[in-house]
Amino acid sequence: MTTSPGAMELRDRVREAAAGPRALRVVAGASWLDANRPVRAEATLEMSGHAGIIEYEPGDLTLTARAGTTLDEIAHVTAAHGQWLSLDPYGDSSRATLGATIATASYGPLAHSFGTPRDVTLGVEFVTGGGEVVRGGGRVVKNVAGFDLTRLVTGSWGTLGVITEVTVRLRAIPPVQATLIIDVGGAETEVERLRGGLRALPFMPMAAQFLDPTAARLVEAGDRVGALLVRLGGNEEAVRAQREQLRSLADTREADADVWHRLRVLESANAAVVRLSRRPSTFSETWRTAMRMVERWTSPAYCHGDPGRGVSRVVLPLTNQTAVDELRSVLETPFQGSRVYERIPEPLWNVLSSSAIHGRLQRGIKEAFDPHNVLNPGILGESQ
Amino acid sequence: MSGAPRAAKPRPSSSIDESLARRLAEIVGEKRVLFRGGELLAYSSDGLPGYFKQPSIAVFPGTRDEVVAVLRVLAERGAPFVPRGAGTGLSGGALADGVVLLGLNRLTHILSVDPENALAVVEPGVVNVALSRAVSSYGLHYAPDPSSQAACTIGGNVAENAGGPHCLKYGVTLNHVIALTIALPNGEVVALGNADGESEGYDLVGAFVGSEGCFGVALDVTVRLSRTPQSIRTLLADFSSIDAAARAVSSIIASGILPAALEMMDAATIRAVEASIYAAGYPTDAAAVLLVEVDGPTAGLDTDVTTVVRLCREAGAREVRVARDDIERAKLWQGRKKAFGAMGRISSHLVVQDAVVPRTKLPEILARVHDIAERYRVMVCNVFHAGDGNLHPNIGYDANNPDESARVHSAMREIMQACIDAGGTVSGEHGIGLDKLPYMDALFSSESLSAMCTLRTVFDPDRRANPGKVVPVHSCREWHMAPSARSTSTEHA
Repeated sequence: MTTSPGAMELRDRVREAAAGPRALRVVAGASWLDANRPVRAEATLEMSGHAGIIEYEPGDLTLTARAGTTLDEIAHVTAAHGQWLSLDPYGDSSRATLGATIATASYGPLAHSFGTPRDVTLGVEFVTGGGEVVRGGGRVVKNVAGFDLTRLVTGSWGTLGVITEVTVRLRAIPPVQATLIIDVGGAETEVERLRGGLRALPFMPMAAQFLDPTAARLVEAGDRVGALLVRLGGNEEAVRAQREQLRSLADTREADADVWHRLRVLESANAAVVRLSRRPSTFSETWRTAMRMVERWTSPAYCHGDPGRGVSRVVLPLTNQTAVDELRSVLETPFQGSRVYERIPEPLWNVLSSSAIHGRLQRGIKEAFDPHNVLNPGILGESQ
Repeated sequence: MSGAPRAAKPRPSSSIDESLARRLAEIVGEKRVLFRGGELLAYSSDGLPGYFKQPSIAVFPGTRDEVVAVLRVLAERGAPFVPRGAGTGLSGGALADGVVLLGLNRLTHILSVDPENALAVVEPGVVNVALSRAVSSYGLHYAPDPSSQAACTIGGNVAENAGGPHCLKYGVTLNHVIALTIALPNGEVVALGNADGESEGYDLVGAFVGSEGCFGVALDVTVRLSRTPQSIRTLLADFSSIDAAARAVSSIIASGILPAALEMMDAATIRAVEASIYAAGYPTDAAAVLLVEVDGPTAGLDTDVTTVVRLCREAGAREVRVARDDIERAKLWQGRKKAFGAMGRISSHLVVQDAVVPRTKLPEILARVHDIAERYRVMVCNVFHAGDGNLHPNIGYDANNPDESARVHSAMREIMQACIDAGGTVSGEHGIGLDKLPYMDALFSSESLSAMCTLRTVFDPDRRANPGKVVPVHSCREWHMAPSARSTSTEHA
């Protein structure tokens, strides 16, 4: 496979930076710039011009596009053939790019059934911090040739290489879809009952999200109570049965299809966001902690969570008056599980999560692929 | 295949080997260390026919502590080694040429099962199908199902990123491994991934799965189990041309139905199967059959069956029959899973390839394969995962016939090149190992191969784990970087 002229230009920019060394901030749609740890960079590597779909053969259900291609463009082109890319990360999909989605391993409600970027990425081209254009994987749906550079850069936040091109697996959009709402009272036992009930259903919904009362109100899925949104899909008969089976669990009502879009774009630009996770069987405890964080926050915070993945996402809007200590105290609400911070004010990173790069292997990989530390330095913290 | 098969020269064990063997026996016991020529015969080949490489020593630890202790001794001595599971691999990945073979098939414990979260933690020597059996009472199974699943181990599956017929819908090994505890080649024990929630940092689980024993040894593997589907429908469609069968595959994939499996067998395969004890009732006059399985909740499943039947008919199927019960279903599958075994009856040697092409290219590539086979006067049997575009052209031959061997290898090389030219890859699930090394240069640039070497070096700085496999040695040069920065490159090489 040949390297595109655009990738060669980007390679030259990285080589110049490595020679400096002069740190680069890799930027595409600029919609998630405040995500993750602060970056110390002297220049910007602009990716949004490096856009466009390179190859799309609907019969193969695969698509290859340059990194700066927006998720909206991909959705538009594939929808014409009844297909989609099953990645729906939170944020503005008219600005979110394929490269950034893969680089940050961002995902949304559809991950419930279709997985995260690691599950849909088939191949990548990227420029290493040493200024080499490298390819991993390929354009076919099954591939074990060579060591897996694709998984390596997926979720590496641009710190190992600048992704220039991505090949992804697509899926057929189910012929019939529906989203049902179940009202959820505050009781933890009710959350646990619904979680267990969902799991026992003979089908796996495309997506399932608990919303706290605020989120439910904001996406127009409830009033004063929380909600469970369940997305169904399949052929007509399958969806009819799914509806009935869901009704055996609780009273349901129909949501309009846009409810998922409203959830994706709900959060304000200025908010602290943390994901809490444990094994799915303990979801109700994770959810309780998320609700507790929301209750403790002053401005209209909210949370939503995927019982199948065992993850709850807490969004705490910030204002100019926000006291960092108060925020820290809420974020440190006791919880026996994993916390992944998406966005928090700069001073809090050092105290809450100074680095994601731990141990000899992580450190060694970073040093090998970006020996001069010029790619998004700091975004995953310093090597420890 | 990278040249004519050859027999290993008898290799007298050296005093260095004997001293190492004695040291290893102190850890695992004398019975678990083999180093005399005759004892090593069984470990001088794997699932890849035609190769014979004798290890210097074969050592079989029985516990994870023993594995770690063995690795430390090997590290002290600077001894290269090759990890091995059941030795069913088809790429020569478990061949140890004069180095230590580290057998992991004694670590067979299922350490824990968490049915509520559909997770299991297993030792590397657990046999694939044994895991599915052990969790079946919970309504769960382990989805990746290589044809060798009755013998192959989870550790080997992890090393090869193994697939199988049902990976079309459920994904390959990579999609089912959540976390690992590994021993690096130096004996250091490292936990990768997190089964108890999300984690940050680089995806080391993703990097390790499919690393073909070059990054270390898995001590335990946390896998995701899958719900056993409420209903399963298995169909057999027969076609009077391969082209028609390939077109049926394309239209099923394009329809949006995601079958659990979509397998194709050509006339030569059908005849071999039907002449064997694995006879499945395939029509022997068909040019190709498709084995299609759809599964999931009962409601709506028959609609999918109807659509698949219609699409097969529209593509020219003569007959499409749906298995009436589990017995018929099992029989249809047995023919497919034992196809390689059935072909083994016909020829003394069999080369199996594993290339993948974009699914829309299947009709074109199968015609090319047919032309190439005719030109070289070899008989290719095609039995493969059509839904993934994952071809398994097999050629049966007599490895002791130099002329025939040469024609077989030339034909295979052309088939592989045709698949690469069609936008495909050389391995979908068997791994590169030794067998496909010669194709890596055609598939990846020297920069990409060099990057892979660099990744390997992070895990195994001494490059002692499965030496000479996966990435051609000549591409493992110094890590490249900007010209002005080259002076500092050595420390990262």
